[in-house]
Amino acid sequence: MSDIKAPGFKSSDLISGLEAAFSKYTDAEKQAQIKKTNGIFELQVTNGAKETVIWTIDMKKTGTVYKGKAQPKADVTIILADETLVDLADGKLNGQKAFMTGKLKTKGNMMLATKLDTVLKGAKAKL
Amino acid sequence: MSFQGLISGSECAAPANPLSQVLKHTEGDRSLQQDRISGPSTSRLHYLPGNSSSVPANEQDIALARQFFEGNSSGHAMAPVFSVPHPAELARINEMVARPGISEHWGLEQQHQMRGLDDSTKAAAWATEFRNAPQASVAHTVQQNIAGPEFQQQRSYMSPLYGNSMPMGVYGMGATGMQYGTNSNFSTVVQGKGKAKEVDFETAFAQVMDSLEPVQSSTSRIEEVDDGVQEIEESLRAAAIDGDTEGDFQKYVPLSSSAHRLHVADRVWEELQNSDHPPPKEDIAKWEAEFSQLMSAQRDELEDYGKNMQNAWEGGVGNYDGNIGDKPMQIDAEGIPVLGDYVFEQNNKFLDPSSSRSLLNEAKALLEQNGSLSEAALMLEAAIQRGELGEGGYEAWILLGETRNMDEREEAGMRALLQGVKRAEESGTPGPGMLSLAISFTNESYDRASHSMLLRWFRARYPDVSVPEETVRAMTTNSAWDTHGRITELFLDLARAQHGQNKMDEDLQIALGVLFYTNGEYERAQDCFAAALNVRPKDYLLWNRLGSSLSNGNKPEEALGAYREALQLRPTYTRAIYNVGVACLNIGADKEAAEHFLSALSLQESTGGDTSDQLWFTLRRALLSMQRSDLADLAKPEAKSNLEIFRKEGLDF
Repeated sequence: MSDIKAPGFKSSDLISGLEAAFSKYTDAEKQAQIKKTNGIFELQVTNGAKETVIWTIDMKKTGTVYKGKAQPKADVTIILADETLVDLADGKLNGQKAFMTGKLKTKGNMMLATKLDTVLKGAKAKL
Repeated sequence: MSFQGLISGSECAAPANPLSQVLKHTEGDRSLQQDRISGPSTSRLHYLPGNSSSVPANEQDIALARQFFEGNSSGHAMAPVFSVPHPAELARINEMVARPGISEHWGLEQQHQMRGLDDSTKAAAWATEFRNAPQASVAHTVQQNIAGPEFQQQRSYMSPLYGNSMPMGVYGMGATGMQYGTNSNFSTVVQGKGKAKEVDFETAFAQVMDSLEPVQSSTSRIEEVDDGVQEIEESLRAAAIDGDTEGDFQKYVPLSSSAHRLHVADRVWEELQNSDHPPPKEDIAKWEAEFSQLMSAQRDELEDYGKNMQNAWEGGVGNYDGNIGDKPMQIDAEGIPVLGDYVFEQNNKFLDPSSSRSLLNEAKALLEQNGSLSEAALMLEAAIQRGELGEGGYEAWILLGETRNMDEREEAGMRALLQGVKRAEESGTPGPGMLSLAISFTNESYDRASHSMLLRWFRARYPDVSVPEETVRAMTTNSAWDTHGRITELFLDLARAQHGQNKMDEDLQIALGVLFYTNGEYERAQDCFAAALNVRPKDYLLWNRLGSSLSNGNKPEEALGAYREALQLRPTYTRAIYNVGVACLNIGADKEAAEHFLSALSLQESTGGDTSDQLWFTLRRALLSMQRSDLADLAKPEAKSNLEIFRKEGLDF
């Protein structure tokens, strides 16, 4: 969906890619992901120009990504900068470290924020 | 733990030493509290509106409070609360806190309930103080009545925390300080914020909850607090979190007269002081529910992340087992998921009853010769179904689990391994399969389960090494971050001891590697696996593990090298092929990635077995990255017999 993108945000492509990927899940896969993650993440992203955009990743009810605040309520709201989100998705930064260094702030269920890594990351190697 | 340093060095101004915080509140400076509670009469006696007499008319108040109480006690386990010293109150407060708007309710219950009217945060503070003299915002009044040093503590507590004014401040309290800290924080937060911020309260609440749970295992920096903490924890657990309190509270809350509040507070306080019942058990469940609720409640921005994290570590935070969602995953006390029985393949050609060969042995032979993993798995399934279970009744199961995992079928592998591990334990020889199972758990992000399993492996493998009771108990209560620290310490100690004797047990290294990997410390994991590889250079599993540590540690090129080694040793190692694909994706070589996935799929397909969903799933991602959503739509398990279409599109596998 093109309306999920937000101009001026580097992480915008990332989010729309995520959204596309989610929409391609089969129902079974969606259910599996939802079962594992079980949370609604609201991302408040701020870019260099001090603009903020809010994206919601619903991994509890619908398994979708959309722009705007969480409906219904988010389980965790994550506040971070555009750069940080990009780094997180690239794997350059992991959620825990970001949190410890203050790059990532949370409101709500903090532990859920650590699952954000897995949600964002493209694919993880298996041990 | 290094986190300490992080915590101390956080941007928050809170003192690094939680003890100081605790001490502060023994100093008693309730001024802030007073302001909070009610503008007009800042002096102690709050409940008497406009009355600032220093000594509350206790009898009257108490009587009123009693009345008040009597009238309301529906739902609130006031009695039990009272019976339980402090902790109960605390629990109540927590309860209260958990609900937005409950703060009022809470206040009521807790003596200081009245104060709670301001905001739940007060309750938080109260919780802390509770121990000493529960009373959040109503500090004044409480003071009046209680006139205890604790009270002072509470106030003073609030003051220093005030400055922090963040829910997270509670976290900052540190382990021992947790009990107190959290309580204080609550108060402080409430006070500090100057606004009835439920968020703060909730956070504080969570904090308390957290602190309460791991009380036993928290690394107490402040020794003296421990006892109290335990007590409180117990009380808390006992305290019932009554969902109905809110309603009741409402009745209380609207009391316009502060006198009412005071009465109730008095009464509560009295009760608390006098009663000594053990907390009711059924409340724990409620309490936990509250806790969960609290955890999901909105919180204010954390100023001290480090501290928050610390608290979260030691708390049960993150163990939100099956509380939300339509179909939550069932997880047992140790964090191990309840998966259900193994599902055998329906059309298993090896199930032919007339054949009398030993399928188990054949499967082993096949694996030795680098044969097809799917075939071997089918053989093993048939063997099991025919009752040929191998050594101890577990051998076949474990082999099946490991084979399935190698074939990139994690779910099936996990179930088989769970069976195998269980049987091995039952037959008196625990240990086999545990390491593999822990790895499966890590792959599927069941961190706590992984830690529990690793601990079990450790104890089975090194029965002579003593494991602190606390660590064992921690597996069932604490969060993954905390258990991780403990287990790592345990393993490292042994590794160092071995090193001192010039020995190296590569299994221990592997286990350590898995631990580090689970925690995201990929560099250290790489070191461990490399060390183990020195001893076993032909172990393809180890090469794969090294590869994955490199890959997740953002060294995809090196990872590819390791995977190649693994594949040279075992060309049918589906998982390694999958991992190569993933590494390619991470480099951005989408097409190659897709090709690898497809080759893995065709390998599985050609041997007649079922294809791995994980492969399809990741193939789809690769295709989407290539901007070929048309192909992505086709990439479904149903297409397994029709892989040609992909070849036609130019994908070479």
